[in-house]
Amino acid sequence: MPVQYYIFLSIVLFCIGVMGVLMRRNAIIIFMCVELMLNAVNLLMVAFSKMWADAGRVDAAGAQIFVFFIMVVAAAEVAVGLAIIVMVYRKSQSVDINIMNRLKN
Amino acid sequence: MNELQLIPLLPFIILAMASVVTILLIAFRLSHTVIQVTGFLMMCLVVFATWYVRDTLPEEVPPLFIVDGQAALFTGVIIFCVLVIGLFSYIYFEEREENPKEYYILLFLATLGAAILTISQHFISLFIGLELLSVSLYALIAYLRNRNNAVEAGMKYLVLAALSSAFLLFGMALIYMEAGSMKFSGIAEKLPQVSSSPLFLMGLGTIVVAIGFKLALVPFHLWAADVYQGSPTPVTAFIATISKIGTFAVLLRFAQTIHLQQYPLIIAIFSVIAISSMIVGNILALRQQNLKRLLAYSSIAHFGYLLVAFLPGNEAGTEAAAFYLIAYSITLLSAFGVITLLSSREHEAETLDIYTGLIWRRPVVATILAISLFSLAGIPLTAGFLAKFFVLSAGVQQAVWLPLAVLILTSVIGLYYYLRVINTLFGTSGTADVMQKTVHPFFHVSTYITLVVLAGMLFWIGVFPGLVLQGIRLFLLLH
Amino acid sequence: MFTDTVLLSATTPFSYFPIVLQLCAALGFVGLTMFATHFLGPKRKTSDKLVTFESGIEQKGNARQPVAIKYFLTAILFVLFDVEVIFFYPYAVNFRELGWDGFLAMLLFVAFFLGGFFYILKKGALKWED
Repeated sequence: MPVQYYIFLSIVLFCIGVMGVLMRRNAIIIFMCVELMLNAVNLLMVAFSKMWADAGRVDAAGAQIFVFFIMVVAAAEVAVGLAIIVMVYRKSQSVDINIMNRLKN
Repeated sequence: MNELQLIPLLPFIILAMASVVTILLIAFRLSHTVIQVTGFLMMCLVVFATWYVRDTLPEEVPPLFIVDGQAALFTGVIIFCVLVIGLFSYIYFEEREENPKEYYILLFLATLGAAILTISQHFISLFIGLELLSVSLYALIAYLRNRNNAVEAGMKYLVLAALSSAFLLFGMALIYMEAGSMKFSGIAEKLPQVSSSPLFLMGLGTIVVAIGFKLALVPFHLWAADVYQGSPTPVTAFIATISKIGTFAVLLRFAQTIHLQQYPLIIAIFSVIAISSMIVGNILALRQQNLKRLLAYSSIAHFGYLLVAFLPGNEAGTEAAAFYLIAYSITLLSAFGVITLLSSREHEAETLDIYTGLIWRRPVVATILAISLFSLAGIPLTAGFLAKFFVLSAGVQQAVWLPLAVLILTSVIGLYYYLRVINTLFGTSGTADVMQKTVHPFFHVSTYITLVVLAGMLFWIGVFPGLVLQGIRLFLLLH
Repeated sequence: MFTDTVLLSATTPFSYFPIVLQLCAALGFVGLTMFATHFLGPKRKTSDKLVTFESGIEQKGNARQPVAIKYFLTAILFVLFDVEVIFFYPYAVNFRELGWDGFLAMLLFVAFFLGGFFYILKKGALKWED
């Protein structure tokens, strides 16, 4: 398959993620959208790794290793992020991010 | 890869060990003081290790890291900051939280992230350093979870930082597609062929967004004031100094390696960001009644000034930027140190009315705050003035006139609100001072002494910059 | 033999044919049994059948109740320790080439995780009963 297909799919996934983060108000869904963006990047990385490996570069596997790192970091982010969301829920019985406007001058 | 190549990484390995050691110390239920002292010793060890490996510099540890003089310089500043912040943290957390120990694990991990940023020369190490920094910061910002503001600030930082790191990764993927390498030097080789491709430029653009977010540059500054206000004061000092030094160091290395400044488009983008940061930061600070928010907006403006030194992309610019970062971090550390010292168990000392007439009640602390504000405003005889002067002269060499003009103009605006705070310090106070009993005399005294030393350094650098400049040049030559 | 060489060599698309065959068989079996039970089995419509299946126990309350926070902690810790395994895949692929150096590196990696695990145990994060 030509690499363009992967690029289009990834850009679509990434844009869905961005729109989700910007438009949804539920903290958990926002978080899921960020994960979607990260996974779009993962797909892109793997596709490009294959592309450059086919083009004869020996170090193309580095991009696949990068994908592993992204996955692990995403898991760490989720662990800390969900903990913070749980704290927000315990404070206000809601995970709506609109209630967060106490910090003003 | 062999063992000899790992020797230049020794300071960073010790830094990583510091958090592991702290975890084990907590597991064995040792006291806060033990952890604080061990952390202090480990950081000193890092400094010694940097001294020990200086002869092996510059050394590349392929493919991820390069340890050169510039990296050692920025790492040194970072370690200096974490030493001071660690000291501030003791009295701050000892009074507030019954269990402040995990704070140090996160503090050292975040420091490690910033230090890794200074030595990274590959997208993988850039990403890991940045994420180590931000994931630790999420937890650090929300550390005092019983305060509403902390959780709110943590949530805001979490969503925006996660978004920005996704953008960063997307940009990296696009650049990798065009250049076929994730190493900065590999990208630089391919650059002449790909520099006009739209996907490459888009990738570069998203990376600028992510870096701009971390440095709180306009238009990515919206989180700054809320996070500065909501997080514990030592953590605010951390965000204002270490996090930004690390990010700026990696931006500098990236720009130097791929010669970013020879592309007019990039220069134009960074000029716009710098100019808008200077203007917006200073104007938003004008009417602030909250000292932490005021410092947040002032730090936005200051990184606008710093970008003016970054624009020319020459030796003088790098030198000016390094000097600026040193002066800026000492200044901010002393300002936040004063806020930490004045904060009580219930209230952060953040609204300006607390500071009314402070000079009559606590002359030493008020003088230190005044000195640091003078330095932020760029009054002569303080470090801030010389830092701005070097930035200006670096800009004049390369004739970036418009940003320079804005720099001078907005500095004058900035003078207004810094002097407003100083005016408050000298005002007549109606509030009677409630003298708190000091629970930890040793740490209180050492915090006091540190603050006095920091203020002294501001004067010393402001009057005799020779030694610092010489040191910076010496380090920057090692590349 | 022609078919043997074609089927056993991994390079042609044709070598995936057995998998397709197996997939067809599996799907066909599922479809066939669903169809057959639908037509062959007797039908008794009672109200009991519409009730949520609770292994014979009378159902009570709503399923959407808040879960204990301990469950969250355990689940997150599981995720963290589970994702760690991802770094074993590249090691497993290059197991022979990396030799003892790789083994020592992996040992160090696992040691860090054990340090974290020790911390969790000491903190009592995995204690289910109070």
